[in-house]
Amino acid sequence: MTAPAPRNIKQIDESTLGISWNDGHDSVYSVKNLRESCPCANCIDEWSGKKLIAPGTIPQEIRPRNLKAVGLYAIQFDWSDGHNTGLYTHELLRQLCECAACKSKSADNQT
Amino acid sequence: MSDPKLQEKIIDALKTVQDPDLHKDIVSLGFVKNMSIDGGNVKFDVELTTPACPVKEQLRTECETKVKAIDGVEQVDVNMTAVVRSTEHSQPVLTGVKNIIAVASGKGGVGKSTVSTNLAIALSMTGAQVGLMDADIYGPSIPQMMGIPISPPKVGSENKFFPHEKYGLKVVSAAFLTKQGQPLMLRGPMLGGIIQQFLQNVEWGELDYLVIDLPPGTGDVQLTLTQKAPISGAVVVTTPQEVSLIDADKGVKMFQQVKVPLLGIVENMSYFICDGCDKKHHIFRQGGGKKLAGTFNIPLLGEIPIIESIAEGGDSGIPVVMADAESSAAQAYKDLAGQVAAQLSINQANKGEKVSADFELSWKS
Repeated sequence: MTAPAPRNIKQIDESTLGISWNDGHDSVYSVKNLRESCPCANCIDEWSGKKLIAPGTIPQEIRPRNLKAVGLYAIQFDWSDGHNTGLYTHELLRQLCECAACKSKSADNQT
Repeated sequence: MSDPKLQEKIIDALKTVQDPDLHKDIVSLGFVKNMSIDGGNVKFDVELTTPACPVKEQLRTECETKVKAIDGVEQVDVNMTAVVRSTEHSQPVLTGVKNIIAVASGKGGVGKSTVSTNLAIALSMTGAQVGLMDADIYGPSIPQMMGIPISPPKVGSENKFFPHEKYGLKVVSAAFLTKQGQPLMLRGPMLGGIIQQFLQNVEWGELDYLVIDLPPGTGDVQLTLTQKAPISGAVVVTTPQEVSLIDADKGVKMFQQVKVPLLGIVENMSYFICDGCDKKHHIFRQGGGKKLAGTFNIPLLGEIPIIESIAEGGDSGIPVVMADAESSAAQAYKDLAGQVAAQLSINQANKGEKVSADFELSWKS
């Protein structure tokens, strides 16, 4: 049971993050979507799992200032709005992948 | 007078010697060093990844036999050495420590501290530099087991302090930070602070292995350590019965979630051998540890029997591996140390490319 782990994490352009995984998959992310998916207890209700970020409140120009590893299992983002309490686990990051293949898969699941 | 052909033949012969754990021959692994050939006298070093290697003697014999069988070789002198490889990390904490082993359990009272203490001593008896961190803040028992009187640690410069030393081990415990017998009454966030101190402010020096004795459960201390310390691997201790296994199962899953490699399971209090009838009595039932290891497909590293001398060693401050090095209990711990060291070496050899624990990226805009 070994879930994929990030092999390389890099900035692709001003608003895009790229992660290549050790199973060969390459992920891309819009940083704004990542900020909106913050899993911390301020952004997601701990008991109900309900999203607490009101739609439209994350500005288009949101950027990470800094990313760093937390132990061997997660990445912590320090955002330009001062928010930094979210620990994005490797599993979560993999789920949030916005590459064409993953996007069409998650669209299939929703219909 | 060294014969290049002879050297070639010796290397070829050594290429047929496999390290059973790493599944490669010892020449490709770069273990063979400092070969000198003088007429028919051949000398070389075999440098293993741990002095605690469980198959050390087996490898030596195999090298000797195979080289001796070559025409023109009269005398073979194999020198077994070891340089412990470091699990890669460059976090600002514990920079001089090559491998960090966390000893955990889901449940209390399964003998974590006894296992940690004897494991640490058994590792150091092989010649490795070993440290022991008692991270059980509320119930520190390592000082008692190691026979170290409660006294404040020696303070160095810049808020640093030195570990206590006993039996060649460097030891740190929360017990040294309080008066004898006084409980530490702390809320969760303070625990994290003490663990940070242990990681950042202790002058550990150069260590091959740091054994961390964790408190039971899956709480603050475990999380802080997995987030702040570059743990090389975890050992989960359980007793054989179902009630203990339920919690050990959670311990294993915790490490899986935070991606700390599991070295394996230790089954403690496995059986009792009666001195009257020599029969193995499985007091807490049989095969629990094996079952748990099977469920997660991880190794069962050892089964430690119930022996009075183990408890005696804990109470007297002379752990059983030291007090009675030839006893079956001591042997069980020495075997365990060998297994743990071997698993660490295997993990390092097999680890793929991964973002390391010190990854950091500043965003450019």
